[in-house]
Amino acid sequence: MVASYFLSDPSVLLSDLVFGLLLGCVLAVVAHGLNMIWGVVKVVNIAHGEFIMLGAYGAYFLNLYWGIGPLASAVFDAAIGFLVGYAFYYVFLHRELRGKETVSLQSEMVTLVATFGLSLVISTLALIIFSGNVVGIDYDPGTLLLGPVSVPLGGLYVAVVSILIISGTYLFLERTFIGAAIRAYSQDVTATELIGANPAKVASLATALGFAITMAGGALLTVFISVGINPLMGTLYAPISFVIVVMGGPGKMWGSLAGGLTLGIVFDVLQAVATPQIAFATGFLLLIPVLILRPEGILK
Amino acid sequence: MKGRTPFTLYGLLAVMAALAAVASFSGVATTVLLVNLLVFAALAYSINFITGMTGYVSFGHVVFMAIGSYSLAVLVSTYSTSPFEGIALGALLGGLFALGIGAVTLRFRGVYFAIASLVLALAGYNLVLQFPQFGPGGELIFYIPFQPLTVFFAIWGIVVAEIVLTFFVNRGKVGLGIRAIKDEEDAAAAAGVNPMKLKLYVYMLSGLFAGAAGAVFAWSTFGVNASSAFDLTFSLQMLAMILIGGMGTSTGPLLGASIVYLLYYELLTYPRLQGGQFLVVGAAVIVIALFVPDGIVGIIRRKYPSLKPVIE
Repeated sequence: MVASYFLSDPSVLLSDLVFGLLLGCVLAVVAHGLNMIWGVVKVVNIAHGEFIMLGAYGAYFLNLYWGIGPLASAVFDAAIGFLVGYAFYYVFLHRELRGKETVSLQSEMVTLVATFGLSLVISTLALIIFSGNVVGIDYDPGTLLLGPVSVPLGGLYVAVVSILIISGTYLFLERTFIGAAIRAYSQDVTATELIGANPAKVASLATALGFAITMAGGALLTVFISVGINPLMGTLYAPISFVIVVMGGPGKMWGSLAGGLTLGIVFDVLQAVATPQIAFATGFLLLIPVLILRPEGILK
Repeated sequence: MKGRTPFTLYGLLAVMAALAAVASFSGVATTVLLVNLLVFAALAYSINFITGMTGYVSFGHVVFMAIGSYSLAVLVSTYSTSPFEGIALGALLGGLFALGIGAVTLRFRGVYFAIASLVLALAGYNLVLQFPQFGPGGELIFYIPFQPLTVFFAIWGIVVAEIVLTFFVNRGKVGLGIRAIKDEEDAAAAAGVNPMKLKLYVYMLSGLFAGAAGAVFAWSTFGVNASSAFDLTFSLQMLAMILIGGMGTSTGPLLGASIVYLLYYELLTYPRLQGGQFLVVGAAVIVIALFVPDGIVGIIRRKYPSLKPVIE
């Protein structure tokens, strides 16, 4: 079965590969917000998937009531996410992180468990308010034919936006003063004060940015995967994001893309040669050898 | 610590004896309620061994429960054995899987362990769907006589064993080493504690009892299916129980399990509040994690220090 797939028409193979790469870019932007928060504030938001879900619903309702396309909705989602991120920082993280040099095991446990509780609260509320029905956005920009290879345009748009967002955050962190303060915070909290920035302001800004990207990611997701918006979709995209961030290395902006592309191709190729179950199981289990062999992520 | 009269242990065993008496002399409805309560308690004690004692958050703990559930379901439905053999196999496989998984994942600190455990649960779910031996859609159903009292004493025995073990692990040298790991793992290692060995030991206990509890759960529901066996909200409930009761203590899990279970049971009976129990438990977890991370036992410990010998 495997051999026959690889011996089949090369244009099928190429189309699949293109699809995998586009999927990888989408997954990368979905995970990128988590990467930002994890890398800078050193806290993992277990409710990450629920904010992706809220972003997707944001795009759905903006489309339903005002006919706004999902790409434009991403901007609205980002604005809301930015505010939500600030609230999240001050409710969930500030008390644990304030005045501390490093995140203790106790604080790590507290934030993990508290955000796990948050994920349950948000998904239950979403089930009550949105109902369990799966919805989708009627948006299909069509397909681009490059010779025998077909490229879904929705995926291509998101891939471009995804790479723009990732390179944007990279440049922001590398080239601006606030970016330098955020990088300082991620390496040494005291260093943030030494360069004249307030650690709490820096950490909350990084969290807010992370949430803005996460919720925008939820909207962008619907461009490529236009069906399947439902209150429990977070239970799929959160673990995918965890794997991507660990693979890329938390805090490395290009890591999201490296992890996303790896996972996208693994999912896509294994779905073609085996079953979706095998593809998901393998994709998730990839995390274990990465943690053993390269705990700092696959990027140098 | 040594030589002190173990009031806590006596107290807990007295509570368990009282539960056994109630189950023996009351109607089927009460017995079924107590079975469900003790399945919750068994799971709470099980996750308490790893997360409560060491602070390593096991999000994927539901994996060991699922291993136990499938052990019993496969043995009873396919090989027509007695459910007790299913429980024994569930415990054995739960313990062995914990040893195997722990040997790798317990090397990862903090969040990495938590995420590795989560990812393993998702991979397990997908793999079960892949094998026809676990039934179509991972569902196995079996038809055996309804014996609530037998099921009750099976889970009762498991919980009693957990209480006794928790108490002695906490009191003994192992507990001392484990508390050192929870405070500062590197310092513990420098002081001559072997963190890996101790963590693996409690993780194995944890997997063993979750396997046994999962087997009884399958027995009490006459079957298993993949989406509920690997339901991550079970993991959250387990965490909620020990968090509310008091992490790492021997009274906390029973206390927390009773509260969470009764909350579920009471709220579930009102149809209009369907789903509301998740909101209440989720919100309780957030508030307790952020404001009173040592739970009810911790509050009692601080407010009434004289009660210490009775609650710890």
